[in-house]
Amino acid sequence: MTDRHAHDGSSIDLEKALVRYMVERRISRRQLLETIARVGPAAALAPVIAACTASPPASASASPSATPGASAGSPSASAEPTPLPSPESELFIYNWTDYLADEVIASFESSYGVKVTQSFFSTTDEMYTNLGTDGGGYDLSFPISVDIPGLIEKGTIIELDPAFLTNIGNLGAEWANPGYDPGNAHSVPYMWWTTGVGYDTARITDELTSSNALWDARWANHISMLDDWQEVFGLTLIQLGYSANTENTSELDEALARLQEQKPLVRTYSTDTIGTMTSGDIWIGHIWGADRYAIQEVNENVVYYIPEEGGVKGSDALAVMSGAPHPIAAQLFINHVLDAKNSAANTNLIYYMGPNAAAKEFILPEILDDPTINPDQEIVDKLEELLSLSQDVRDEYLSRWQQLRG
Amino acid sequence: MTGALARLRGLALILPGAGWLALFFLVPLAIIFVVSLGDRGALDRIDLSSPSFDNYARAFDPVFLATFLNSVRFAAVTTILCLLIGYPIAYWISRYGGRRKVLLLILVMLPFWTSYLIRTYSWMIVLRDNGVVNSLLQALGLTSQPIILMNTELSVILGMTYGFLPFAILPLFVSIDRLDPSLVAAARDLYATGRSAFVNVTLPLTMPGIVAAGLLTFIPAIGDFVTPDLLGGPETTTIAKNIQVLFLANRDWPYGAALGFVLMVVTLAGTLVAIRTLRREVVGS
Repeated sequence: MTDRHAHDGSSIDLEKALVRYMVERRISRRQLLETIARVGPAAALAPVIAACTASPPASASASPSATPGASAGSPSASAEPTPLPSPESELFIYNWTDYLADEVIASFESSYGVKVTQSFFSTTDEMYTNLGTDGGGYDLSFPISVDIPGLIEKGTIIELDPAFLTNIGNLGAEWANPGYDPGNAHSVPYMWWTTGVGYDTARITDELTSSNALWDARWANHISMLDDWQEVFGLTLIQLGYSANTENTSELDEALARLQEQKPLVRTYSTDTIGTMTSGDIWIGHIWGADRYAIQEVNENVVYYIPEEGGVKGSDALAVMSGAPHPIAAQLFINHVLDAKNSAANTNLIYYMGPNAAAKEFILPEILDDPTINPDQEIVDKLEELLSLSQDVRDEYLSRWQQLRG
Repeated sequence: MTGALARLRGLALILPGAGWLALFFLVPLAIIFVVSLGDRGALDRIDLSSPSFDNYARAFDPVFLATFLNSVRFAAVTTILCLLIGYPIAYWISRYGGRRKVLLLILVMLPFWTSYLIRTYSWMIVLRDNGVVNSLLQALGLTSQPIILMNTELSVILGMTYGFLPFAILPLFVSIDRLDPSLVAAARDLYATGRSAFVNVTLPLTMPGIVAAGLLTFIPAIGDFVTPDLLGGPETTTIAKNIQVLFLANRDWPYGAALGFVLMVVTLAGTLVAIRTLRREVVGS
């Protein structure tokens, strides 16, 4: 599920921890089964086993030969095309299970002579805890985009040296200057996903395309919304034609009024969408797109769509840690992932679209043809990423959220 | 000399308990209070540089009133139901349990062997639209459409009553079991009817157990967060949920701490009133 919502994810979040305990599968079982069919159970499950037993490969201080991250991260600003420093002999990646294609790692190892070691986490809480303030001995990890401003502020991740990122031009135009990290100065987007609407075609025979369907009185008492203020306001604001991150309070008032209109029809506000969508009580729900695979495993009649008005997208990014023992190898690896074929290989493994425009020609047709993974440009242009809001703005949202939920 | 020694020994006996309470109750309570005087600083850190009671003024925001009343109502109904259901069970075990008393008490506690969360999720299976209850009603031809049971006040109160019932039964059992049956027999000898003996003898003498059971149910119930959140719907938000939102979404720990502290004070005041009433009723007579 989605504890990508780390803006909500402080360590004592009892409810979410419990719900996660019940339902969370970052990689759906379906995908795992496919992997097992492809590579055999031992290989498919190895990362899972590794994730249970792995500890950080080394603490930053344990490798005295390490180049301090900061020195490599801040280029000596020479305009001269000086030859790039050669990479260290190792690279420590802290990652989700099954989130990087094996062939991408293998080709990096052979072309740069670097030995790549991966360790795995299963929730963002786990990732951020183990990364600490300097990376906890890891070189590279996959923070959620919305958390990047905080990681920059805390000095957890370094500024990237553009000299290493020769493939950055492969990124699609909409990713060149993301709101969470202008100019991709500290991070490079890796994969993106959407939040949208799922519905049970056995209950609802209309073909739905709009987020207004969540306000349809015909499904009264069978509608669920996420218990996540930013997602709920995001969907509503975009439906009303505003930005999902608006700071305009009259737009927020309008969104609140719209949500209060909906409340009598809503059965539950819940983040456990896998549980609610498979309970039989909910016919149509506001869900995290990635959860649909787990839902479809139980109820194959559930389909997912991105509202035609646009919707909320999320993404994660590759970032190099400030205490990285191997910052050069890490930045070269980011560039390696930016390669069109490598990016496509990762998408073909995990069924998420990446930000890499050049990769499209190498992506499997079944992914490209799926509008819920790869929507038309017209819809892509209407997707908006939730940003980390300032305290005052956040309070404006939350006082209205309390009014709605109270 | 021996008196002082005995007193010392007595002190040593309460030391572990007192230390435990100090460390895990008083210290956290003090931390909550101190935090509640602070301010949310930049980066959402707690800023204690200019302590004030501003957060307490904000804690009485009317937006919280509805959810506070929800909490009180759920806790009160749960407590009453637990007493009404629990008393006859405790009475029966005590009077008619015979050799099986211990076994019956173990049965009361048996649900604790399964995680509360799993038991709450089981209620979902029972209550949902195509769940056990609705399937049964429809099979019997009593209803044609599923009745909406899940995500309602009914499901919240059912879940809470189920969850807290053992906490009510155990103190009720203790006080009923301690009641000397010959007192009831004496009342009957004096021509009291069964009902009158119960109302005038059994009930007053087991009042301490009733109050203890009520408190043991009401206090945790008013702060219950998991049950209303999992079994409830849009209209069953509780004050505990608001506190969670303040901590995790607003990331305003001082504000959340103030609201939490207010809830604690209100609960404590209620408890003191209940205990005082009890003392007047039992010790005073």
